[in-house]
Amino acid sequence: MSRVVTFENLWCVFEHRSGQLVNALQDVNFDVQSGEFVCVVGRSGHGKTTLLRVLAGLQPPTAGQVRLGDDVVTGPGADRAMVFQQDTVFPWLHVQENVEFGLRAMKTPDSEREEITAHWLEAVGLTDFADSWPRELSGGMRKRVALASAMAVGSDVILMDEPFGSLDYFTRRNLHDVLLDLWAESQKTIFFVTHDIEEALILADRVILLAEGKLVDDIPVTLPRPRDEDVRAGAEAVAITKVILQHLGITEEEATAV
Amino acid sequence: MTNTDVLDVRAKARRASRRRRIAYVIYLLLGMVSFFAIWEWLASPISPLLFLMDDPQTFMPRPWNTITHFVQNFLFSEGLQSRYITQACPELASERIADIPDICFGYALHLVETTKNILIGAAFGTIFGLSMGLGSLVFPKIAEVVTPVASFFGTAPIFIAAPFFVIWFGIEIPLLTTIGLITFYTTLLMYFFSRRAAENIPVGIVESALTLGGTPRSIFRWVYLRGTVPEIAGGFRIALAGAWGLGALVEVLGPQLGGGFLIRIWSFLMGTFGAAEALVSLTVFLGVLAVVVDGLLVLGIRFITRWSEAGRRLGL
Repeated sequence: MSRVVTFENLWCVFEHRSGQLVNALQDVNFDVQSGEFVCVVGRSGHGKTTLLRVLAGLQPPTAGQVRLGDDVVTGPGADRAMVFQQDTVFPWLHVQENVEFGLRAMKTPDSEREEITAHWLEAVGLTDFADSWPRELSGGMRKRVALASAMAVGSDVILMDEPFGSLDYFTRRNLHDVLLDLWAESQKTIFFVTHDIEEALILADRVILLAEGKLVDDIPVTLPRPRDEDVRAGAEAVAITKVILQHLGITEEEATAV
Repeated sequence: MTNTDVLDVRAKARRASRRRRIAYVIYLLLGMVSFFAIWEWLASPISPLLFLMDDPQTFMPRPWNTITHFVQNFLFSEGLQSRYITQACPELASERIADIPDICFGYALHLVETTKNILIGAAFGTIFGLSMGLGSLVFPKIAEVVTPVASFFGTAPIFIAAPFFVIWFGIEIPLLTTIGLITFYTTLLMYFFSRRAAENIPVGIVESALTLGGTPRSIFRWVYLRGTVPEIAGGFRIALAGAWGLGALVEVLGPQLGGGFLIRIWSFLMGTFGAAEALVSLTVFLGVLAVVVDGLLVLGIRFITRWSEAGRRLGL
C-alpha cells in the first residue's frame, strides 16, 4: 500500500470575535495509506470538520501542510471529492445532471460521461430516478446522489463530513451498506468524520481520535466484516469503544446513562 | 393494503384535488362579484359618497357603463378625435393634440403601446441588471463600481425623479422617457435581486461544486445561473409591477401615446360626457392588463422553476 495522504505538523488557529485565539488543530501528524477507510472521531467542536476542510483545500492551515502523494494541498479539487453533512445536491439539476456535474467541469467526452454516470447511478440504486428532481427524493436518496457524484469524478480520496448525521437509523444503516459496497468496489481512500462510535466501528479500518484539536489516538479496527450486531457486541469492539469513550472524557457509567 | 384500497385512496386524493380547484374558482368568482357589487353601490343613487359630494356619478360611473364605454372605444374612439378634444377643451391645442392623427385614437392602440414600452424597458433593464449583477460574481470590480451608484439611486428615488426626467425629456423624446426610465428602474432592481440571489446560494453548495472539480466557468453556469432563477424571477415580477406604475405615470406626464396619455386627455375633459367612464375604465383595464401579463409570466416562471418546491408553492 502506498502512502496517499500525509498530515505534517498541521495547525489551524482561528481568531474569535472576542479576539481570543482558538486552536482548532494542534500539531496534527499522521499518514493514511491508499484504500484505507479512516474514521475521524471526536466531540463537537474538537477539530474533525476543520481537519477535513483543510484536506479538501477549503480551509488553509495556519502552519504545516497536507500532502496528497507528493503534492501539497493548496485548494479544492476533484481528486478529493467531498460529501457534506448538509444537503448539497444541486436542487435545480436532475439526478443524472447532478452526477454529471464534475465530469462536465472536467470536459469528459459525452459518451464516457454517460457511461460513468449510468454506472454510479446503478451502484447507488438510483437508475430509475435519473430524471427526477432532487425534491422528489427522500433525504437518504439525496445522500446517494451526493455519493454517486463524488464517486463519479474519479477521486482517489473521498471526504465525508458526518454525511448521514441527519438521517434516521434505518436509512443510515442502509447507506452504510451502500458505502461499504462502493468502497469495496472502488478501493478508494475514505475519510469519514463522525461523532457516532457505532458508525465508526461499522465502517472504519482505523479510527483517528481528535480532542481539543490534538490527535490523541490512532486505533486500528481489525474487526471482521461485515460488522453486524454480534461482531460489534464482541470483546474487541467493546474494548475499542471503551478506549474511545475514555479519550473523549466519558466514563462508562455516563455512556450507559446517555 | 390491497391494490383496490390503493386505487381507492388515489381516487379520493384526485377528488380532493378537484374540489380544491373548484373551490378556488368559486372564491375567485365570489371576489369579483363582491368587487362589482361594491362598485355598483358606490355609483348608485344610495351611494355613501353622497356624504362627500353632490353627484358621485360624475366621478364613479356604474360598472356596466364603464365596460360598454371601454368596448365601444376599444378600436376607435369617436370622443378622442382631435377635433372633439380641442373643441371641448381649447387649451389642449397647445399640447399639439391636433398634430396627432385621428387613427391613433382607439384605446387598444394606446394600451398596446403602453404594454410594448413596459416590456421593452423591462427586458433591456433585466439584461443590463443581470449582466452587471451576475457579471460582478466573475469580475468583483463591477460590484465595487456599480453598487455605490445603484445604492444612491435606489428604487424609491427613481419614482421621485421620474417627474423631473419627464419634464426634462418628456415631450420631445417620448421613447427615451418611457422606455429609458423603465430600463433604468428595472436595471437597478434586477442588479440588486441578482446580487442577492447569488449571495443566497448556500456556501455548502458552492464548496461541494469546488470539491467535485468545478471550475469558475462551470460553477457560474451550473450553480449561479441555474440556482438564482427563482429569486431573479421573483425580482422581475416586482420590477414589472413597478414598471406598470412608472410607465403609466410617465405617460400621464409626457408622451402622446399610451394608456397614461389617455388618462391625461380625459382628465382635461372631466365633466364632459363619458369622461368618468373613460378614466375609470382605462385605470381598471391598465390594471387588468398588468395582471394578465403577470399571470402569463407566472406560467413561464413556474415552468422554469419546476425543480423548486418553494417556487411552486409561492406561485413563482
